[in-house]
Amino acid sequence: MPLAYSLPSDLSPATVTNTSSLLRIIALALISGAAIASRLFAVVNFESIIHEFDPWFNYRATKVLAEKGFYAFWNWFDHTAWYPLGRVVGGTIYPGLMATSGVIYNVLHALNLPVDIRNICVLLAPGFSALTAWSTYMFTKELKDESAGLLAAAFIGIAPGYISRSVAGSYDNEAIAIFLLMFTFYSWIKALKTGSAFFGTLTALFYFYMVAAWGGYAFITNMIPLHALTLILMGRFSSRLYVAYSSWYAIGTLASMQVPFVGFQPVRTSEHMAALGVFGLLQIVAFAELVRAHVSSRQFQSILFGSVIVIGVLGVLAFAGLTYKGWIAPWTGRFYSLWDTGYAKKYIPIIASVSEHQPTAWPSFFMDLQFLIFLFPAGVILCFRELRDEHVFVIIYAVVASYFAGVMVRLMLTLTPVVCVAAAVAFSSLLDTYIDPVEPEVSEVAVPVTGGDSSAASPATVDGAVSSKKAKKAAAAVADASSTGIASGIVAAIGGQSKSPKARGIFGLDTRFLIVVNALGMLLFFVLHCTYVTSSAYSSPSVVLASQNPDGSQHIIDDFREAYYWLRQNTPQDAVVMSWWDYGYQIAGMADRPTLVDNNTWNNTHIATVGKAMSSPEEVAYPILRKHDVDYVLIIFGGLIGYSGDDINKFLWMVRIAQGVWPDEIQEPNYFTPKGEYRIDDAASPTMKNSLMYKMSYYRFAELFGGSQAVDRVRGQQVPKTGPTLDYLDEAFTSENWIVRIYQVKKEDLLGRDLKTANAFANGKKRKKSKPLARRKALA
Amino acid sequence: MRFLRTLLFPLVALTSLALARSSTGDTVLVLLEPSLKKENFSIFFGDLEKKGYKLTFRSPKDTTPEIIKDDVAQFAHVVVFAPETKTFAGDITPQTLVSLLSKKTNLLLALSPKQTPLSSLAAEFTLILPPPGTPLISHFPKRDTPATVVPVEPPRAHHIISDGLAPVWFSGVPQALGNSPMLVPLLQAPPQAFASDADSDSGADALVEAAEKSGEGLWAGSSLSLVTGFQALSNARATWVGGIEIFSDEYINKEISKGVKSGNRQFVKDVAAWTFQEANVLRIDTVEHHRVNETLPRETYTINNQVTYTAYISQYDPELDLWEPYSGINDLQLEFTMLDPHIRTSLPPVAGEPGKYSVSFRVPDRHGVFKFNVDYKRKGWSYLSSTTVVPIVPPRHDEYPRFLSAAWPYYAGAFSTSAAFLLFVALWLAGDEREPKKGKGSKAE
Amino acid sequence: MLLLLPLLALLSIPFCLAAPSAESAHEQLVKLAAANNGLIKLDDNLYNLLTHPNRNWSASIHLTALDPRRRCAPCKEFDPSFTAVAKAWSQVPKPQRDNHFFATADFDDTMATFQRLGLQSAPVVHIHLPVEGDRRPASGRTAPIVYDFSNGFDAGPLAEQLSVYTPVPIPYKAPIDWAKYGTAVGVGLIILSGIRVFLPILRSRWAWAAGTVITSLVMTSGFMFVRIRGMPQSGANGQWIAPGYQNQFGQEVQVVSFIYGLLSAAFLMLTLVTPYQTQPYRQRAQIYLWSGVILVMFSVLISLFRVKNRGYPFKLLL
Repeated sequence: MPLAYSLPSDLSPATVTNTSSLLRIIALALISGAAIASRLFAVVNFESIIHEFDPWFNYRATKVLAEKGFYAFWNWFDHTAWYPLGRVVGGTIYPGLMATSGVIYNVLHALNLPVDIRNICVLLAPGFSALTAWSTYMFTKELKDESAGLLAAAFIGIAPGYISRSVAGSYDNEAIAIFLLMFTFYSWIKALKTGSAFFGTLTALFYFYMVAAWGGYAFITNMIPLHALTLILMGRFSSRLYVAYSSWYAIGTLASMQVPFVGFQPVRTSEHMAALGVFGLLQIVAFAELVRAHVSSRQFQSILFGSVIVIGVLGVLAFAGLTYKGWIAPWTGRFYSLWDTGYAKKYIPIIASVSEHQPTAWPSFFMDLQFLIFLFPAGVILCFRELRDEHVFVIIYAVVASYFAGVMVRLMLTLTPVVCVAAAVAFSSLLDTYIDPVEPEVSEVAVPVTGGDSSAASPATVDGAVSSKKAKKAAAAVADASSTGIASGIVAAIGGQSKSPKARGIFGLDTRFLIVVNALGMLLFFVLHCTYVTSSAYSSPSVVLASQNPDGSQHIIDDFREAYYWLRQNTPQDAVVMSWWDYGYQIAGMADRPTLVDNNTWNNTHIATVGKAMSSPEEVAYPILRKHDVDYVLIIFGGLIGYSGDDINKFLWMVRIAQGVWPDEIQEPNYFTPKGEYRIDDAASPTMKNSLMYKMSYYRFAELFGGSQAVDRVRGQQVPKTGPTLDYLDEAFTSENWIVRIYQVKKEDLLGRDLKTANAFANGKKRKKSKPLARRKALA
Repeated sequence: MRFLRTLLFPLVALTSLALARSSTGDTVLVLLEPSLKKENFSIFFGDLEKKGYKLTFRSPKDTTPEIIKDDVAQFAHVVVFAPETKTFAGDITPQTLVSLLSKKTNLLLALSPKQTPLSSLAAEFTLILPPPGTPLISHFPKRDTPATVVPVEPPRAHHIISDGLAPVWFSGVPQALGNSPMLVPLLQAPPQAFASDADSDSGADALVEAAEKSGEGLWAGSSLSLVTGFQALSNARATWVGGIEIFSDEYINKEISKGVKSGNRQFVKDVAAWTFQEANVLRIDTVEHHRVNETLPRETYTINNQVTYTAYISQYDPELDLWEPYSGINDLQLEFTMLDPHIRTSLPPVAGEPGKYSVSFRVPDRHGVFKFNVDYKRKGWSYLSSTTVVPIVPPRHDEYPRFLSAAWPYYAGAFSTSAAFLLFVALWLAGDEREPKKGKGSKAE
Repeated sequence: MLLLLPLLALLSIPFCLAAPSAESAHEQLVKLAAANNGLIKLDDNLYNLLTHPNRNWSASIHLTALDPRRRCAPCKEFDPSFTAVAKAWSQVPKPQRDNHFFATADFDDTMATFQRLGLQSAPVVHIHLPVEGDRRPASGRTAPIVYDFSNGFDAGPLAEQLSVYTPVPIPYKAPIDWAKYGTAVGVGLIILSGIRVFLPILRSRWAWAAGTVITSLVMTSGFMFVRIRGMPQSGANGQWIAPGYQNQFGQEVQVVSFIYGLLSAAFLMLTLVTPYQTQPYRQRAQIYLWSGVILVMFSVLISLFRVKNRGYPFKLLL
């Protein structure tokens, strides 16, 4: 058999295996290094700081855990959040993340390594990304082989789709969740392959960890049953499946119910019913199989089959009935909005208002996955080619995840692993084909070719004496096979593994060279792309902003921390700060002050109250503020330097949410001009101009421009020369670039006047003489 | 007889009031306009000095001594006897006078029928003055003094004005009261009195047509106030007096009727005592809260705890210049508030322990940040308010009942199942060859 | 305006004075409502009647411009659902029904009203609360409440939101869409009958493979974005690439998914098919061909991406 290039032949197989495994280890180590390193841009460019919003709460909770111990954390009642309602933290969070870093913290301190808890939190995500790479390697190894595994590990290690949620400092549940996701899937597949209860249990344990770590565990809860169900429908039920699934479901469910936040949901809510149903179905099918194995009468089996189906249907009906009766809670809004995509906007505006819940346009797919995104279908096809149980899993995963990723930007996260796996399978099988030195011998008689296409019809013709007549016809066939060649090839390819290997292969060295160079080029491009995207798009901790000076140097905009530290330094410990809920966690984390609402949006009414206060005129808002003991109001205003994510742009959401609760006091149309535009200049609607938010945003803004026309850089509109006046609030602080503005709520007037008149008096306005009040009632 | 009284009176005053002083300080600034002679008010000022006040005199025009230096009030009390002054020195404006109140300085202001900055300031205190040049007039009772000098019956059984006073000579401008709850009328006009221009009684018909409009714009009758106290939220007190003469020696010595001296002296003394926070001054010394049958407060309470709240209140005693426990309040209330009062209960004085007010109650079954609120506002008494924030938390993980008798079926189920499993395993292992084989056979494929 | 009021009155309704009492206005309105199953057609005069200064009834007034000359597409879209809700209201028992009226004011009949209200856009729904009687709002609000169209033009949400202001909830039921159920049943039957035919398709893995791949291709090229945001097929001035990074038109879905498909097909060809080609030169040709395809399509894709995301620094070939 000819070789395209010669291989050293004097190597003992032992040496080969050893070196390969050594190389594999080194490669994995390097991949982990790359994964971690590429996530440190944020630290290098800015500093070791917690990013964005939710992480600030996780960080705070972790500090409590590290300082006061686990039980104190478990029973932590945070009375500074959701003032004055307070928040029972222990029962309303997924403690997995905090527990993890708490454990790490304690271990390090036990080893006398006094590492600050903040650094642990900052670097947790990169660390776990390395583990993710490893578990992806294991997963893919089960699908194909080590080389594919290494490729997959490398892909997931640097794919922006995953980096976006796991850069250093984004200390969020997703940081560890993806590792858990992949490892759970790996051990599930392992359990399915080997049918070992041990791996089933391992799956259950990691499933429990996942449940404790991320609300997205419902994805696993529905993926695995879906897989099992598909296998049953494909007639692939086996005792391996039975053992794996049963052990996973029983242990996993019991374990997951130990998380307080989950509690009895696994038996009470629809998200978990699929798992339960499939569990029941498995028992029935298993029983049927058992009976079939013993009984052999034909019609009895058909009856059995029928009864299985009937029971299954009955089970479904039972679930429906229970749901209808209210024993089983229907789908929660967040999940339901994945199916009925219009649902959220209509009924839960809070969810709809979050930017990462918006649907995904194709550029962001490409941004996050670059060339993997089109290798992905190829990989899926290859999975179809050899359709073992684990491949079925990947296929289901691919379809479901790509749908979810299309509906919600943040679910791109769950798509990324499967894309990496599938792409790796495709890519490595390409390389396998073209690096393999074996060349097929050119048969001057084109029998193999005819064999190629005729074999599909009748294998008998391949071997057996061939008459010259037949040969001639074959040659003719070859002559015009240029068109049918591809077709025959496809047929052969589909025939797949049944073909004898020596018939397939690549001729010549240049072809191999071309393909390999091409492939390497794409990989290189991918690396460049990932580095660029990570450094430019995903590494800014929205707490600190960066801008370019005219001379190209970087200019740090640090208004948020400036303002939060002002609060921390200049206000009493128990001063209540009101802001829109986006900034609740940051205020609690950095300024350490009580807040009215924060990013854990569990109480719509309370948020609506804040929305109402922001969107009503001063005199209406003032009683609300007083009732909630608000001392300071904090708003974000980007109009000066063009920071688009400011409160005026979020204002309509406040109005909408408030309108949901007080439909006849707050109405969205009133905030638009008669022409239906959203304006802040002279043409703005009076309701808009009187709203507290508008007044606070543009208070004394025009003065900043001296005599010249004041312009809002975000809206690109001209601000009225005479700005709004405030009677019930005092400007307390405005940050360097005016991004953060803090107002103090005035106390009641000394003389019991309403603050408007008190203000007028303080400004030396004469009040008109009044007459004594009528003491007697008029007779009329 | 009369000689005796004149002799006795100062004596009594000396003995009883020698040590008396205000609860907030004893420095007094008197803004006396040049047209008024200090001597004409010698009795009033003398009584103040006897009480131990240090009087500083200054004309409203000149600039020293300044009232507020570096945003700190220099005097504990300010008396503004400048009823006719149109223009004050730069540091005395209505705004600064109000800001004095926020700095806990008490004010005693005298008005006059003339239109001055003060009369516009009065509007801020919801005092409604008649148009300029219309003093109080009353033709009853028949007397030899002009109609603008009116003898007024001081209020009876009043908690500020001492009882049994002879009528008080008053001349000046009346004030109609607005609807501010902070006003404390100290001297009401007699029913027959009304505001009108002094020389010709032409105001009368104006009165009539005003009366047509259901009393709208009617400066007449006993609803008018002549001396009005005002207690600001800062507990500082301001008293508006319709006319300066009420303080003058002339009126103090003027006889109401044969041989009956006017009550002016004691009246103005009482007014000054109230204004300078000698009388009717209360404060909350401390508040404590703790669980029933514990002594120390916790920083959080669990829902449904029994909690005791205690407040210690004392009153200022001008005689001895010290605070002593005061149990005289019977309508004190405690609110336990989160957004709305979840519990509102009376906070009664504890018998036998002067100054202690205490109540115990069950914390509502609702976690959150609650506040103990005491808010006591009564006319003429200084306001009492205290707020204590305390979080109410749900029970700890180990405070729930461990063993539920209702759960018996589940316990039984769990144990029986595990027992059965053990039994099954034992039988399986102990069983002979055939069962296992068959079992395998069934498990195959 | 005031001058021609009585005139209008004369030719509009026999007995309608310039400023009639609330009672007479009320019974007149009741008649009108009954006449035109629950929906009153307004002119300026009737409008003033319906929004009577001391009315003890509430009213939902639908201001629209149905005349084709006005070219108001949303008006036409919304009109039927408002009529349906009004009709549903006319089923309510009389005592409640007469306390709330539904009325339509067309621009061409009520220009003066439109001018007075300063309305530039249609359709608008005003809800006038009662000024007197026990149903008058605690806030004493007399200004009309403007219906919020954020839930679209459907009758369901309209009835739901108006029910807040009506004495009793509007008994509106969405008409049953027989066509939908019919088609569903029909399709089901066809599948059942043709089960023999479909079974091999259901059994064949490649049918499934095609389905899977097409699904994921379409999804990953932003199909859901277009569907949820209701993006148009292509831009106004014939441009088919929406500007902006987080934005796209319907046409891009097809183009992008086609490019993706072609690229992955090329890879599959290289991996699966060419190795079976047993003629060296032909195989070589295929390999070069597919590699070329990959290179070109990839660079096309990149350039497309650069259009969307201006800052992107890299480029291939073009």
